[in-house]
Amino acid sequence: MRRTAPITILALTCTLLISMACAVALGPASISPGSLVTLPNAWMIIWDVRLPRVIAAALVGCALAVAGTAMQGLFRNSMADPYIIGTSSGGALGATLSIVLFAGTGRPVFAFAGAAIATFAVYIIARQGGKIPVETLLLSGVALSMLLSAFLSFLMYTAGRSLHQIMFWLMGGFWNVSWDDVIVAILIPVGCLIIYLYARDINIISLGEEDAIHLGVNVERLKQILLFVSAFLTGIAVSIAGAIGFIGLITPHVMRLIVGPDHRVLFPAAALAGGILLLWSDTLTRTFANDMPVGIITACFGAPFFIYLLRSRMKA
Amino acid sequence: MKPVEVIGIDVSYGAKKVLEAISLHVERGEILGIIGPNGAGKTTLVKAMSRIVSPENGTVYLNDQNLDSFSFREMAQQVAVVPQGISISFDYTVRDIVMMGRHPYIERLSSGTSRDLEICDRAMQLANVTHLAGSSVNAISGGERQRALIARALAQEPKILLLDEATSNLDISHRIEILNIIRSLTGKITVISVFHDLNLAAYYCDRLIMLKDRRVYAVGPPEDILTTETIRAVFGIDTFIRHHPFTMRPYVLPVYESPAALGSARRVHVVCGGGTGSDLLYALHREGFQVSAGVLNIFDTDYATAAALKIPCVTEAPFAAISPGARKDLGRCIDATSAVVVTAMPIGQGNIENLRILEDFQDKPVILLGDGGNPSFQDCTGGEADAIVRGLLDRGAVTAERIEEVLRVLHGAA
Repeated sequence: MRRTAPITILALTCTLLISMACAVALGPASISPGSLVTLPNAWMIIWDVRLPRVIAAALVGCALAVAGTAMQGLFRNSMADPYIIGTSSGGALGATLSIVLFAGTGRPVFAFAGAAIATFAVYIIARQGGKIPVETLLLSGVALSMLLSAFLSFLMYTAGRSLHQIMFWLMGGFWNVSWDDVIVAILIPVGCLIIYLYARDINIISLGEEDAIHLGVNVERLKQILLFVSAFLTGIAVSIAGAIGFIGLITPHVMRLIVGPDHRVLFPAAALAGGILLLWSDTLTRTFANDMPVGIITACFGAPFFIYLLRSRMKA
Repeated sequence: MKPVEVIGIDVSYGAKKVLEAISLHVERGEILGIIGPNGAGKTTLVKAMSRIVSPENGTVYLNDQNLDSFSFREMAQQVAVVPQGISISFDYTVRDIVMMGRHPYIERLSSGTSRDLEICDRAMQLANVTHLAGSSVNAISGGERQRALIARALAQEPKILLLDEATSNLDISHRIEILNIIRSLTGKITVISVFHDLNLAAYYCDRLIMLKDRRVYAVGPPEDILTTETIRAVFGIDTFIRHHPFTMRPYVLPVYESPAALGSARRVHVVCGGGTGSDLLYALHREGFQVSAGVLNIFDTDYATAAALKIPCVTEAPFAAISPGARKDLGRCIDATSAVVVTAMPIGQGNIENLRILEDFQDKPVILLGDGGNPSFQDCTGGEADAIVRGLLDRGAVTAERIEEVLRVLHGAA
């Protein structure tokens, strides 16, 4: 553990809190502290619109970053991410199904089930003799995403009136976030905490599965727990905000450069940074970009970053 | 109670059998070496003992207890493995890696006590990586990384240490350094190690187990296992077995090329001694000539070479002068050959008969092999040897500077 780690975590915590305060203050309607007293609408905008949205964005960012960090450690591969390996698509399909079939009832459960099924499917497809090579992992993710997007297209084709809603799951955004969503999002810290308990095990499994067995890690059980909880986190994130890409890819990568590879520090750092990143992306879009889906912004940053990683990996 | 006992295990990868009916045991505190050609199953055997692969039949026992009855944690407290080398995708420091060796002892919510740190420090000291504690494992050399892995294994405080060719990718000085560290641990720790280098195995191991075609071919102390016969049977090469002059452990010297299958059946006699003829004997043997040698004293270096190559040899007792009996044998030998090669050996009163006898065979082609094309014998006979050599040259003996020339002359004469 690097000596600067506690300072970094503290700085990130402060940044997140300040960011949340700023994000509540920012928006298309400018609200000054004085107007809170004079305008009755002002309270409503802060309390019912901005605050739940800010909290949800921070928690969803946190969930995606932690899920991404766990997957990268587990697959020993800094290109894994819930969006890239198809977990998010599975979650989006699950959420869409719940909309088409049950008018949105049980959306988080459906999203989680979809995410979990997609994750385990990719895991089983990509596995070769106990190892998960990068190439097969990425390709299985692509293949599975194609299949899922075919299902989604079919649902969209037959959806009729809910088409707009389905489009939303594909692009990802925080338009309709209410306090109900924030209540679901409370499960995110729980999932993060469970994963954090296995931080030391993930450090060890990132050396390789055989090595982890030599050091006393029950590798198969660890993989099941981590994939399950990662799918759980992604499923909740998707049920709140749709499929938002690349937060889970970029955040762990950048944080690893800053705090080092030790997951006992990396998890909290990535969780906080993911929250900050998604919060600011969302604040930018709703303040300056006419509330464009935030997934578009993260993809604009994330996809070039992914290409950069791919290129530098090829050079190495 | 044996630290490790393997009874009749079979291991397959899919339909491919990798180990069949393997049984072995290791004594407390010894170093057991596993040797054998590629694909014989050495690595798989280590994997079966460290529970990476599970056998279809048979059982591995750890202190008389079935391996499967241990939890992964308990197992890691007993057995540590040093792999052949690992690629580490993230930038951990050496201390991080060594501290991972304490994982089986540290509770989930704890990050380790001061005792864990002490053990970790001691392990780094033993493996000589203390000065690297803060360096990234990806920024140090292969030998240093391997020592860090040994420190990690020691931090596990194991009773049994398994090494899967832990030194194969290192240069000779690092191999010796690491094997010395490991040997200094025996007594407390039992070591089972895969070796590729037979001579390192011979020196460091108390016993060897030799695998061939998925099965145990031989087990025992190095001097019983490393014989010309077993090595030919298992590795398919010819070797000389000598003893290391300091350690008296067996030392395996490979014969790099086997005799040509279709050599000329021509017979050549070599008069040599004191090591001047060994390379020539090997070259002639390799080219497929029917070689004989002598007269040589037993204990002469050239005699040892001839014996190892199974070249028939006229011999004399150690340090004795050539007796009339030996001279008669030599005469018969030379009579049967089509050419005689004489090397630039030291000549004294003891072996002058080797040259004198050539005067009896005036028609026999003679090749003089010596430095600079001018056979310069270390003459300790007061001129007699020189006189004989001059005589041989006068009657048409050929001189050769190097072995290749001798071979050319012999082939040309055929």
